[in-house]
Amino acid sequence: MPRDATDTDDMNLAVNMGGLPMKNPVTVASGTFGYGQEYNQYFDITRLGAVTTKSLSLKVRAGNKPPRLVETPAGLLNAIGLQNVGIETYLSEKAPFLRKQGATIIGNIYGHSPDEYVELASRLEQESAADAIEANLSCPNVHDAKTASGAVLVSQDPDAIIEYTKAIRSATTLPLFIKLSPNVADIQEPALAVQEGGADGVCLINTLLGMSINPKTRRPRLSNIVGGLSGPAIRPVAVKMVWDAARVLSIPIIGTGGICTANDAIEFLLAGATAVSVGSMTFRQPDAPMQVLDGIKTYLKQHRIERVEELIGAMEV
Amino acid sequence: MTGGPGARFLSDCEVLANDEVAPEQWRMRLRAPSIAAEAKPGQFCMMLTNPTQYPFLRRPMCFEQIFDQEVTILYKVEGEGTALMAGTPPGQRIQVQGPLGIGFDTDDDAFARHIIVAGGIGVASFPSLAKALTARGVIPEVIIAARHAHLILCEDFFRELGCEVHVATDDGSLGEQAFACDVLTRLKPDSDTRVYACGPMIMMKTTSDAAIAAGANCVVSLEAQMACGDGACLGCVVESTEEAEGEAMVRVCVDGPVFDTTRIDWAAHNLAYAP
Repeated sequence: MPRDATDTDDMNLAVNMGGLPMKNPVTVASGTFGYGQEYNQYFDITRLGAVTTKSLSLKVRAGNKPPRLVETPAGLLNAIGLQNVGIETYLSEKAPFLRKQGATIIGNIYGHSPDEYVELASRLEQESAADAIEANLSCPNVHDAKTASGAVLVSQDPDAIIEYTKAIRSATTLPLFIKLSPNVADIQEPALAVQEGGADGVCLINTLLGMSINPKTRRPRLSNIVGGLSGPAIRPVAVKMVWDAARVLSIPIIGTGGICTANDAIEFLLAGATAVSVGSMTFRQPDAPMQVLDGIKTYLKQHRIERVEELIGAMEV
Repeated sequence: MTGGPGARFLSDCEVLANDEVAPEQWRMRLRAPSIAAEAKPGQFCMMLTNPTQYPFLRRPMCFEQIFDQEVTILYKVEGEGTALMAGTPPGQRIQVQGPLGIGFDTDDDAFARHIIVAGGIGVASFPSLAKALTARGVIPEVIIAARHAHLILCEDFFRELGCEVHVATDDGSLGEQAFACDVLTRLKPDSDTRVYACGPMIMMKTTSDAAIAAGANCVVSLEAQMACGDGACLGCVVESTEEAEGEAMVRVCVDGPVFDTTRIDWAAHNLAYAP
C-alpha cells in the first residue's frame, strides 16, 4: 500500500513521547490491534506513530474461558485474560513482520513479578523487537497474587508501582511507559509513583471495571463475572484522568479511552496527553486510527497550527 | 477501500432489498461486488448497523446466498443492532467488511453423502452451501429444525434445488415433533457421510454427538459475540481439544466459523452462558 505523502506536508505532526520519536501522536491501544499484521490489510500500519502490541508474557497464555465479551451502552466489556502468543513466538514470528514493514513498535509486557517484567523488557531490547516498552501493571482480568499492601493490581499500590518501575528501568535503556488502571480513588498517586520509579511516560487509562448480568438466565454475561469497560462510554473519565495526571507530572502521557474521532484525540491532547491510542474503535472501524490521524491533520490546517505539540495541555479555561 | 492480502474488503454497500420473510426474520440483499467475488459458503461479514456509536459493535452475519455482484443476509431481530438493520431501507448504504473467516469445504469429495442440519436462524449459511454442493453434482439432504413452524426458513429453496428436506419443530407445529439430532440419527449417517450443523450451541452439540456416534464426519458453523472479526481482539474464542496452552482456544472469526467438530471441546463449553 502506498505511503500517504501528506503525512509530512507543511505541518509538524511529530511528538517526542518520553524519548520515543513518533512521527505523529497516533498509536493503538494494546490488545485492540493484535500484533499489527491483522490490520495491515486495511491500512499501512507504518503510518501510525507507533504500533502497540498485545500484552506479551514470558509464556504463552490461553486466557479466560468464554464468554469473554459483551456489548454495553456505547462500549464493551471484555475479560480476555491476556491471551497471547508469549514472548518467544512474538520475537520469532510477530516482530520480524513489524520490523520488515518499518513500524515503530511499543512492546507491551505483562508479568507476575518484577523479575518477569525485567526479563521481558530485556528480551525485547536484546532482540531489537521494540522501540519502547509499555509495562501493563493494570490488567483487570487476571487473578494473580495481591501486592504487599493487599491491592489487587500493582497499579493500585504506589509502592509496588515504584518497585516494579525501578526494576524494569534498570533493565532497559528503551523509553519506558507504565500503563495504569483507572480503578483508583486518585490517579495522581499512581502517576507520580511511575515518575518516581524512573519511567519515561504514563499510559492512561486501562479499562474500567464493570459487569453485566443476564436477567433471563440470572448469570453474569462474562464467565470471569467482571470485565474491563472500554469504548466511547469511558472517554470523559479518561480525559479527566489525563488532565489530573498532566497537572502533576513532568513526564509525558499516552492518552487512551474511547477515542473514536480526531476530535476525541484532540480532547486528550488538550487535556495534556502527548500521544493518543485508538482502541476499541478499531473493532468498529478497522481503519479508525487512520481516520483519526487524517482528522488531526485537517484540524491543524483549519486552525492554522503548525506543530501538533502546540495542542498538548492547551485547554483554555 | 482495499482488501489487500487475504482479499478482505471494507465497503459501503447499497441495500437493494430488506424484507421480513417471517416474524422477526429478515433477508437483506446487498450490492457488494468485491465481497461477492471473493465470498465462499460459510464465510461471514461484519455489518455496521448504525452511524452513531450506539450500539457500538458491528454484527457478524454469514452469507445466505452469494451472487455475481450481490449477497444476501438472513438474520433474526434479536436486539438493538439487528433491529436497526431491519429498519434500514433499500437505497441506503451500509458498511460491510468481508469476506471473513474460514467457510465450508465444498470441494472435498471424500464423502458420498452430505446432510445439512439447520437449527432456527442457523439455516442462514446453508443455501450457499447447498448451491455449491449441487453445482458439483452432490445433492445434500437437509434437516430444518426450529421451535415453531414460523421459524422454519428456506424449505422451498432447498426443495427447488432437488434436496430431500426433513422439517422438525419442537412443538410439532410443522413437520414432525422432534429435535434435529433425532432426525439425523434416523437418517442413519455413516462413515461415508459428512454432516454440516449450524444453530444454537446445544443443538450443534447434540447434532455433533449424534453424527460422531454414527461414525460420520461432522463440521459445525459456530456463532459467538465478536468485536473485531479479524482475529485481533480474542473475544470470540471457544475451547478447543488441543492440549497445548497456545492452542487451547480457537477464534471463531479467523480459525472458523466452520470447524471440524472434533476440534471443539464441547464438554468444556458452558452452555449455561448462552444469551
